Amino acid sequence: MPETGKRAGVPADWTYLPEPARIVSIRREAVDAVIELELADRSALGHKPGQFVQVSMFGFGEIPISICSSPTRTGRFKLCVRPAGHVSNALYRASEGDWVGIRGPFGRGFPIRTMRNRDVLAVAGGIGLAPLRSLIQYVRDNREAYGRLVVVYGARNPSLILFRTDVEAWTRGEDVEMFLTVDEADESWTGRTGVVTGPLKEIDLSTRSTVAAVVGPPVMFRFVAAELLAKGMNRRRIFFSLERRFECGIGKCGHCQLNGMYVCQDGPVFRYSDLEGFSEAVEARAPER
Amino acid sequence: MMRDRSLPSYCVISPGSVLDFTAGILGKGPVMGPMVRPDQPGFHVFDRLRRPEDLVLEYTTTTMPPKKAFFPPTETVFRFSAGDPPNLTPVRGDPPWVLLGVHPCDLSAIDALDRAYSFPPPDRRWRHNRDRSIIVGVDCMPDEYCFCDSLGVSQARRPCDLFLTEIERGYLVETHTRAGGELLGEARTSNALGQDFLEAEHRRRQKALGIQARLSADPGRLADFLEAEPFQEIWEDIAARCYSCGSCNTTCPACFCFTMDDVFHWDLQSGERRRAWDSCQLLDFAAVAGGHRFREDRWQRVRHRWHRKFLHLYRRFGRPFCTGCGRCSRACTADINILDETNRIIAAATKGRGHA
Repeated sequence: MPETGKRAGVPADWTYLPEPARIVSIRREAVDAVIELELADRSALGHKPGQFVQVSMFGFGEIPISICSSPTRTGRFKLCVRPAGHVSNALYRASEGDWVGIRGPFGRGFPIRTMRNRDVLAVAGGIGLAPLRSLIQYVRDNREAYGRLVVVYGARNPSLILFRTDVEAWTRGEDVEMFLTVDEADESWTGRTGVVTGPLKEIDLSTRSTVAAVVGPPVMFRFVAAELLAKGMNRRRIFFSLERRFECGIGKCGHCQLNGMYVCQDGPVFRYSDLEGFSEAVEARAPER
Repeated sequence: MMRDRSLPSYCVISPGSVLDFTAGILGKGPVMGPMVRPDQPGFHVFDRLRRPEDLVLEYTTTTMPPKKAFFPPTETVFRFSAGDPPNLTPVRGDPPWVLLGVHPCDLSAIDALDRAYSFPPPDRRWRHNRDRSIIVGVDCMPDEYCFCDSLGVSQARRPCDLFLTEIERGYLVETHTRAGGELLGEARTSNALGQDFLEAEHRRRQKALGIQARLSADPGRLADFLEAEPFQEIWEDIAARCYSCGSCNTTCPACFCFTMDDVFHWDLQSGERRRAWDSCQLLDFAAVAGGHRFREDRWQRVRHRWHRKFLHLYRRFGRPFCTGCGRCSRACTADINILDETNRIIAAATKGRGHA
C-alpha cells in the first residue's frame, strides 16, 4: 500500500491522519513568517520543488502551504505563511517547539527533469516566491546540471518583499540573474518599479532552451504568458503553478477541481499549453489587447 | 471478491421469513434500512433499524441517499490531545454490518463512489466502511421524477450481495456474492420456480413502463455536447432561479465532496477533526486564502454541477455521476428539475442537426 504510507510510521489506512511535526524555528516578519519544521520521526519530507503540504494547527484546522525549501538542503523543511485566515493566523503566532500536523507532500511540482541542461526562468509575484524559492535553491544546489538561472520577482511594495536575505544573496550571486521590482515604491526605494512584465521585456532569453516557472496571483499569469510568447517561447515550456482550494490533497474533496483536473493531484504545476484548453483556468486566458 | 460461477443463484423468501431474517441479522450488529420518517409519515429514511417490523421494503425514494451508511453527513476523522508530540487517535467509521433495502439507482451510486474513492490515492475511510458491510438491494416502483432507465441503472445490481424482487409469495432473492449467500444462510427459503421468475420479470416490465421521464440523449453524447458548447444562456437562466442552497448536492447519492474542520473540546487541550459533506453550489466552495473565489458567479457554479456529473467524472470514471433518482429535483427549493434542464441542453445542442 505505497500511496500514503511511503515513510515509516505512517499507518497507510488512515488517509487523513497527519504526522506530527515540530516547529524548529520561526522567523516572523511584518507580513509573513517562515517556519522551519521537522517531522516527529526526523525523516525527510521527501518532496520535490513546487509541491505542497497540508498543515494542521490542531483545534484550528488544516490548510495547504507550498514548501519553500529545497529537498537538497536538510531533512527539515520550511513553509512561508501569510496570516490570511483562521489557521494561518494561528500558525503565524506559533512558537518554536510547538507541534503541527503534516500530510503530504502532494501534487506535481516543477519540471526539474525538463529543466535539466536548459535555462531556468522563475517568475514570481507576491507570495508566489515561496514555492519558487524551493526551485531556485534546488537549481543552485545542482548548478552544473542547469543553464542560466533567471529570477524575476515582483512585490507590491518594498515592505512586502519576502525572503530578503535570499533575494539579496541572489542579487549578489554570480550564478543567478536577479530582477527585483515593486509595484509601488516608497521614499527609501531605489530599485526598479513596475510589474514583472517590465523586466521580462528587457531580458535577453535564449527562448529555445528556456523553461519558465511562473507563480503569482491569477491576474499576473496571463500577462506573463503574453510577454513570454511575444519573446518567442514555446507554450509547452511555460509552467504555471495554480492556486486553488485544497482540502484533502488526494483528489477527493472536490474543492480544487478545474475542468476535468484535480489541481492537488494533476497540478498544481501545469503546462501553459494544457491550461489553454481549460475554460476554468482563468489564469491562462489571453489578455485583451 | 473472487468470481463464483454458481452466482447469481436464486430462491424465494416469504414475507414472514423476511421478518425472521431481519430479526436474525439485527441481533448480530448495527443494521441500516429504509423506514417511515417519524417526523413526516409517508416519507422514508435510511436509519438504524431497531425492530424488524420497522423495515419498509416497498418505499418511495428516501430524501437522503444511503451513501451515509459509509460516508456520514458529519463524522470524526481523528481525535487529538496536547502532548509532546501531540496524541492523534484515528477514529474508524461505524458502518452498519448490513445495509438493507437499497434501490438499483442507489446501488449504482454506491458503485460510482466506489470508483471515485478508490481512484489512487484512495480514500481508505470509504473502503474500510464498504469492506465491512453487506448490501441487500430491493427493486422499486418509480415516480415521475425518476429517469434511471435512460441512464442504464434501472436494473443495476452492482454492488449488492443480495437482491430482492417482490412477487406473489414474497420475494425472489438473487444471491450475487458469497457474503450474500452466507448472510442468507439460515433464512427459511424455498426453491425459485418458473412462475416466480415470470412474476419478477413482469414486475420489471411494469417498472420500466412506469419510468416515463427520459434523458433525450445517451450519457456519452451528453458529455460530448457539454464539452463542445458553452450553453451560457441556459446556465444563466438556471442560475436566475437557483438560490445556491446546496439541497441538490446534499440529497445526491453520487455527490462526494466534503470539507474538514476542527473543534476544540471544553478543556482546550483536546479536540477532533470533523469531516462533513460539502456543496459546490455554495459561494465559498472554491474560495482561496487570498480571497479569490473561483466560480464567484452563480451560473459558474450551476455549470460546474452539470459539468462534474455529466462530463468530468464521466470522462474519468466512464459513467455519469447521476443515477436518475430525482432526489435533487424533489428537494430543489426553486423547482429546478435536473432532467428538464439537461434535456434543454440536449435540445439546444441538437437543434437544427436533424437528430434530436
